[in-house]
Amino acid sequence: MEILTAIQANLLSPAVLFFVLGLVAALTKSDLKFPEPLYVGLTIYLLIAIGFKGGVAISEAGLAKVWFPALAAMVLGALIPLWTYPLLRFGGKLPGVDAAAIAAHYGSVSAVTFIAATNYLKAIDQPYESYATAFLAVMEAPAILVGVVLGKMALKKTGESSNASLRTAVHEALFGRSIFLLVGALVVGFLCGEPGMKKVEPFFVTPFQGVLALFLLEMGVVAGRRVGDLRKVGPFLLGFGILVPIVNGALGVLLGKLTGLELGGATLLGVLASSASYIAAPAAIRMSLPEANPTLYLTSSLAITFPFNITLGIPIYLEVARVLYR
Amino acid sequence: MNTHPMKLVTIVCEAYALEPVKKLLREVGAQGWTHFTVEGAGAGGERTGEMKEFANVQIEIVLQPTAAQALLARVEGELFPRYGMIAFESDVRVMRSGKF
Repeated sequence: MEILTAIQANLLSPAVLFFVLGLVAALTKSDLKFPEPLYVGLTIYLLIAIGFKGGVAISEAGLAKVWFPALAAMVLGALIPLWTYPLLRFGGKLPGVDAAAIAAHYGSVSAVTFIAATNYLKAIDQPYESYATAFLAVMEAPAILVGVVLGKMALKKTGESSNASLRTAVHEALFGRSIFLLVGALVVGFLCGEPGMKKVEPFFVTPFQGVLALFLLEMGVVAGRRVGDLRKVGPFLLGFGILVPIVNGALGVLLGKLTGLELGGATLLGVLASSASYIAAPAAIRMSLPEANPTLYLTSSLAITFPFNITLGIPIYLEVARVLYR
Repeated sequence: MNTHPMKLVTIVCEAYALEPVKKLLREVGAQGWTHFTVEGAGAGGERTGEMKEFANVQIEIVLQPTAAQALLARVEGELFPRYGMIAFESDVRVMRSGKF
């Protein structure tokens, strides 16, 4: 069973094991806790490191190679909320504004899931297009905007007024800390190219694995603390948080193949399509759709989909890619 | 030493409500305020503060009594329905009343 070997290889990486350790810490009520500034600091490091590396990769590969799959990735991100919204609204019987908020999270992406996936591919010597970071950068915002528009429409229908403007959402989606740093570092990396990379490599590349392990330990604690909320969100969202990523992941891999990516790049596009945002989207949604219940979207993206993708999802999408590329 | 009666309004809210609260403060004419990150528990469960999504802030504003009334009325009407938060006022005496 190839897939079991793939899953095993992922589960035994330091990053994933530290994530599990964090989960255990939260579940055993250990007093382990990272101060918020450290969490923010680690996020900044990871986003800059991955953005810079991606920018250098784009300058090596040339924009001509990147723009078409990147455009496809962007369109996919914008379309995902359009099918997850009705599923949540009518399948899950959720209020329109909550369905829209969750749909926005699943169309948007999780940078750390993406980073963990590149880490995994590297560990098993599976080559991939390093410029895939560009897909990460362009997939973050569109779904958030689509989700906010869906939410506003749902609120209008039920007559609840909302004065939080779409402009707030646009601003948060385009200039929120995660997207700002990622795109910024991507541009810096693109302008510096390989010579620039040589200068920052000892800081942004060599310690990367360790920082990721540290960050995932913290994420394990955060996700573990939300486990109690699983009872509040109910079985529908639990199933949604696992099955929808698998479907979206397969769609992403397929799109990667259709737009001419190699197996590794298609896997990463699958990972992106499957992942749910928990930095950019929650901030944007809270500001522009405050009527939506944060417990629902935070629990499903942070306590269900993120752990699933980190442990089982990533190797599953690789297997899907292997089958499609056979 | 001369002191003058004023109102101290205290708002404890989720971190995401900080910007909307600050906007209201400017609109009711507050001259200044102080806010800091806090942890605690309430109707929204434990607020552990390890990331912004689960963090609270406390905002303290000293105001003229009429401005305090206006602020609290608008907080009640515009922000209570949307954000996890509490607000209360207390009597304080300040120096240099012209600053408020």
